[in-house]
Amino acid sequence: MKRSRWASAAGLAAFLGVWETSVRVGLLPAAFVPAPSQVPAAFLSELRNGEWPAAVLASLTHYLAGVAAGSALGIAAGVAVALSPGFAASQAWVARLLRPIPPLAWIPFALIWFGPSQMAAGFIIGIGVFWLNYFAAEAAVRAIDPGLFELAAAFGQGGAWRRLTAVVLPAASPGILAGVRAGLGQGWMAVVAAELFGIPGIGQRMNEAAGLLATDILVLYMLTIALLYGITDFAFERVSRRLLVWTRA
Amino acid sequence: MTAAPIVSLRGLAFAHPGDAAGRPVLAGLDLELPRGGFTAVVGPSGVGKSTLLRVIAGLARPAAGSVVLHTTPAADRRAVALVFQDARLLPWRRVAGNVAFGLEGLRLDAAARRARAAAALDLVGLAGQASRFPAQLSGGQRQRVGLARALAVRPDLLLMDEPFSALDAITRHLLQDELIRVWRESGASVLFVTHDLDEAAYLADRVLLLSGSPARVVRDMTVGLRRPRARAGLGETVAALRAALAETFSEGAGI
Repeated sequence: MKRSRWASAAGLAAFLGVWETSVRVGLLPAAFVPAPSQVPAAFLSELRNGEWPAAVLASLTHYLAGVAAGSALGIAAGVAVALSPGFAASQAWVARLLRPIPPLAWIPFALIWFGPSQMAAGFIIGIGVFWLNYFAAEAAVRAIDPGLFELAAAFGQGGAWRRLTAVVLPAASPGILAGVRAGLGQGWMAVVAAELFGIPGIGQRMNEAAGLLATDILVLYMLTIALLYGITDFAFERVSRRLLVWTRA
Repeated sequence: MTAAPIVSLRGLAFAHPGDAAGRPVLAGLDLELPRGGFTAVVGPSGVGKSTLLRVIAGLARPAAGSVVLHTTPAADRRAVALVFQDARLLPWRRVAGNVAFGLEGLRLDAAARRARAAAALDLVGLAGQASRFPAQLSGGQRQRVGLARALAVRPDLLLMDEPFSALDAITRHLLQDELIRVWRESGASVLFVTHDLDEAAYLADRVLLLSGSPARVVRDMTVGLRRPRARAGLGETVAALRAALAETFSEGAGI
């Protein structure tokens, strides 16, 4: 464990070292590629002028709202499809029609409906997250051992609500949480794409920086996205490990 | 043995809803189980023993006839509880939570549920395992949890579907003895399905031999052996059961 951590750190250091040297010796054109050592200065200036906190806050806001809404609706729809043959049939062709449309294809409509707003970004993020959760939840519920439903019925827990809360959701929770986690990653991709179309946030700030060839600022925000993704994924993984402690028993 | 019955089956018939031909698994079954008794059901595999339990438990609807339970409804207990062959525990719940599962459908507050679950665990000798997960238990311990879950709801009738068939012989014998003790302490009536004639002879007051298609009770034997029973003293009873079973085969009644 310790050894592999050292190897990882060494790999990262080597990557940054090669990058820095390539820019300094002119192997990479300094006008197009910033040296990594320029990034801290870019960070300080973006912090001082308030751009960085504002962009991060805006992005996080619609990211979290979009992921939360997309996950909740996707899980609800996926569970309903798996439990109700009638509902499954009624939405089968609608799902087949809408599913292949990539979330980014909804950007024009999102802008028409909601303007360049948090709502529009949340909508675009939510769509991609929705489908991931929909399919993960459906598969997880379908995989539940039917014997558990018989058990619930045998012990007076066969009502729809008790079945859902005491059997379906806990039994399907490993698959459902895997879907949520995949959605957390997918969500960040949609964040930046949506913001490139003028919705305030990290992507919009990157667009401005690109116009000025401020490549150090571009790299700063790319690293910011990586960091935010890392934090959300780590936090979620911690929570789900706790929830799924029984799968490792 | 002639006491008031705990359950009466009258003209009971059952066919699997999925069976297009509608061939009955059970037909014209009339049966009464004595209150407080221990009845075993034996018979060839696939004859409908488990189906009979599921119909009595209310998990499957009979095609004809009726199941009448002679129990007094109460909000804090269930008339019938089931013990499954595969223990069927909820893997995300700890042992105590699994035992409390059936109590959650009853009118009990949280403290009463905890107390009842703890008492049931105590009864099956698993008081020290309350906070473990099912995956951390042995097969025998899992069956004990399944038994505790059923006992916790204080059933009048305990239905057991080959609960020990997947266990090794030593564990099986141990659990058979515990079951007898628990049965006597709880006062519940037991209907115990098994394909093991020795097990039936060791445990039951009465053994029903189910055979044929549709299945019917082809032998209804009283086991007069005194308790506690010695396993070595079962020979005659087992031989009689085996002979009865062989006879039904030679009659072409079952497979």
